[in-house]
Amino acid sequence: MSENQSITRSFARPVSGDDNLRPPCEVACPIHTDAQRYVQLVAEGRPAEALVVIRETNPLPQVIGRICAHPCEEQCRRGQVDEAIAICNLKRVAADGVKAAGLADTPPQPDYATGKRVAIIGSGPSGLAAAHDLALLGIRSVIFEKQPQAGGFLRTGILEYRLPKAILDEDIDYITAMGVEFRTGVAVGSDIGFDELAEEYDAVLIAVGLSLSRSLPIEGVDLEGVLLAVPFLEDVNAGRDPGIGREIIVIGGGNVAIDVARSARRVSGGKVTMVCLEADYEMPAHDWEIRDAREEGIEIICSQGPNRIIGGERVEGLELKKCESVFDEQGRFAPSFCETELQTVTGDTVIIAIGQMSDMSFIPEAGPRLDERGLLVFDWHRRATTMDGVFASGEVVTGPGAAVNALAGGKRAAISIARYLGLDVDYPAEPEAIGELPQHVRDYQVSQAPRRRMPARDGAERIKDFEEVELGLAEVDGRCEAARCLLCGSGARYSQLKCVSCLTCVRVCPYGAPWADKDGLGGIDPAVCQACGICYTQCPARAIDLVVRSEADITSEIEAALADGGALEFGCWFPQTRVAPDAAAVMLPCTARLSPGLLLKALEAGADKVYVAVCSEDDDGRFITGHRQTRAAVDEARAVLEEIEMDPELIQLSVVGEKKCAGGAAR
Amino acid sequence: MIVAKPKPFRKIKQFTDPYENILVVGCNTCVAVCLTGGEKEAEQLASKLRLHRRHQGLGGTVDTITVLRQCEHEYIDELKEAVEGRDLILSTACNIGPQALAERYEDVRVVPAMNTNMLGMVKEHQTWTEYCVACGDCVIQYTGGLCPIARCAKELLNGPCGGSQDGRCEISPDVECVWQSIHDKMVRLGMADDLKKILGPRNWSWSKHGGPRTFSKEGFKP
Repeated sequence: MSENQSITRSFARPVSGDDNLRPPCEVACPIHTDAQRYVQLVAEGRPAEALVVIRETNPLPQVIGRICAHPCEEQCRRGQVDEAIAICNLKRVAADGVKAAGLADTPPQPDYATGKRVAIIGSGPSGLAAAHDLALLGIRSVIFEKQPQAGGFLRTGILEYRLPKAILDEDIDYITAMGVEFRTGVAVGSDIGFDELAEEYDAVLIAVGLSLSRSLPIEGVDLEGVLLAVPFLEDVNAGRDPGIGREIIVIGGGNVAIDVARSARRVSGGKVTMVCLEADYEMPAHDWEIRDAREEGIEIICSQGPNRIIGGERVEGLELKKCESVFDEQGRFAPSFCETELQTVTGDTVIIAIGQMSDMSFIPEAGPRLDERGLLVFDWHRRATTMDGVFASGEVVTGPGAAVNALAGGKRAAISIARYLGLDVDYPAEPEAIGELPQHVRDYQVSQAPRRRMPARDGAERIKDFEEVELGLAEVDGRCEAARCLLCGSGARYSQLKCVSCLTCVRVCPYGAPWADKDGLGGIDPAVCQACGICYTQCPARAIDLVVRSEADITSEIEAALADGGALEFGCWFPQTRVAPDAAAVMLPCTARLSPGLLLKALEAGADKVYVAVCSEDDDGRFITGHRQTRAAVDEARAVLEEIEMDPELIQLSVVGEKKCAGGAAR
Repeated sequence: MIVAKPKPFRKIKQFTDPYENILVVGCNTCVAVCLTGGEKEAEQLASKLRLHRRHQGLGGTVDTITVLRQCEHEYIDELKEAVEGRDLILSTACNIGPQALAERYEDVRVVPAMNTNMLGMVKEHQTWTEYCVACGDCVIQYTGGLCPIARCAKELLNGPCGGSQDGRCEISPDVECVWQSIHDKMVRLGMADDLKKILGPRNWSWSKHGGPRTFSKEGFKP
């Protein structure tokens, strides 16, 4: 019994180095983008490399960098300290940085050696993602799109002020340049039969999204001035007159309803009121979308359901009844109303934005089976329909969701199709996230640093046109924002084989991440580790290294930086005043991870002077003991120089005066 | 644990300067734990030597390698390839290590980078205190578990000398008077009267004074 307990204890403790735990942002991302890595590269001012990382999983980086629902940010552990990293905005910073600097972002040229061809119906995010990933696997896709231009709901449903068409075009052009063929203005079902596609192509992917608006079975719905969300958005996006008045009532509380309201505000220049069943805190639209709408003067009336639309020929108003609850005890949508508590909102236009559905009319009798509700019968694991070689992905099978979820579906469908076509590819393993920040760390041990706000045009100004609302973070703000990343799970890695159980790490870690028991077994809890590097600099047996900026990484960077000799500056990622602007630079998450050995290594590698830029003792840099640790390393290295009769001034410690990023370490 | 301190660099350079092809050998046991001669310190010493030699225009090669324990034949046998062609081995182990290396690699000069300091206990991070002198005849069963040989400057066996002041030793206020501590512990244990019994003369031949010691454990021999 006692032995069993002992074994359980040993194995239950977290050990870094033998695990594959990933940062929660990456795990939360439906396409598992390595957000931490690209955020770091942005912090370092390396946008081109950041974009390469983004492109590893994301075929629409510019689009997603603007409109993503960013579930990553909800899980970001920085949010447990102050506010989540602006991961989505940083994606845009990377792409904008590449464009601003004129750096290369060249589409790969896939070798279509398989000779296989896939028909994809729908050019929204899911279809585009599938085509992109199939291309990388050597399978050529032809995308059929009934609208005159590709993009699906990204083009017809999302307005210029959130996603400029030129940006969407650039992302689609990239995929086109990879050899994906688009047949726009071709409606499957009327212009070309589904059967023909199934016959002609090796596989078919249905990615048609939700192109039809749901309406309401209420009195007055047929009056002039009652519109549905999807055609309204299509009209506005195409530059056509949607036929609205100056007093618009939008029914619905989701993201599409917000888009409808904001567009109506711009088109009409008049009053826009949203009405939804949900209470303020229950609204399905994202908080930031609701905020944006309110900034633009849109009134939102919550907890009210439409009773009837009032009017003679044209709409004159909407009668509302109080909604007492939206969901039943099981959490299912089952609104209950107080039929006697009525009120009226006046208006000349009502736009119904309560949900969407797929148009499956193109599916023939002998095609994939639909259930009694008209939905595709579907194998979730393989993204396969009931018809051999016909797959489906995106909102047509998931229902409404974020674009990034549609990408994920398309990517999985691409793998399924490739497997169906005989390729030896596997679905990627689902990553597992490291644990939450312990209370003592989040409360006292991580420096507070405010999130950089996305600059946006003023609400009153932006409703005058359809120009983009968000202006993009300036480069320096992007770097400061990125440098807030806590590098979750990318800190110390520990080798049990090399460890001499000396307890040094246990004693020096300011966060309490390392542990050891009486048997000398130990580990470093990745959920606690803040990647400061102090244990790494102090470990006498070299049993600890760091995942991000390992000893080998830093060494090779030192050597590369000093290829032509000269001076070298060590600094941190926070963009700050360089102490030796002419020196080559090696930038680290914090100078706390400089050991005396690394400083000597720089001299050995040919540096004629080594500068170390450290934060002042007052703000103590990124980590609790950052300043002291850096100073100790410099002092020790200088003492070595003195002993060997070299000038200790060859290593200079300079306290950085002006720091462009506010926020010091919590004590 | 064995605690060893680095020799001053001016001494190290005296016996390394004349050599061309030097191997610094670290030891990842006691001297790693006391943070003076493990892999990290051996690497740093090698780096220091290289910078020194470059600065002095000496040239030559300085490499480094670390074994788990230099006082084990099996481990130092593995250094054969690394030692090949060297004209000097500089050991950062306690002073058992360089002797073991000198025996094993007969044709290479082996010099110590360290002085074995003591058998000590860590008092706080990076600070060790002597607790044992390996006298061979432990008496702490009579003295409350505290050693009057290692921890008393005069190695007194029967109570403090007149230099005990407020629990500190007359040689330095930084040094505890272990006899005060022994007394306090015995009082706490209710055994203060035992201190009135005189400890007789010890057999110092079991200490270093009887010549080099050996120890052979009984039992199965392969």
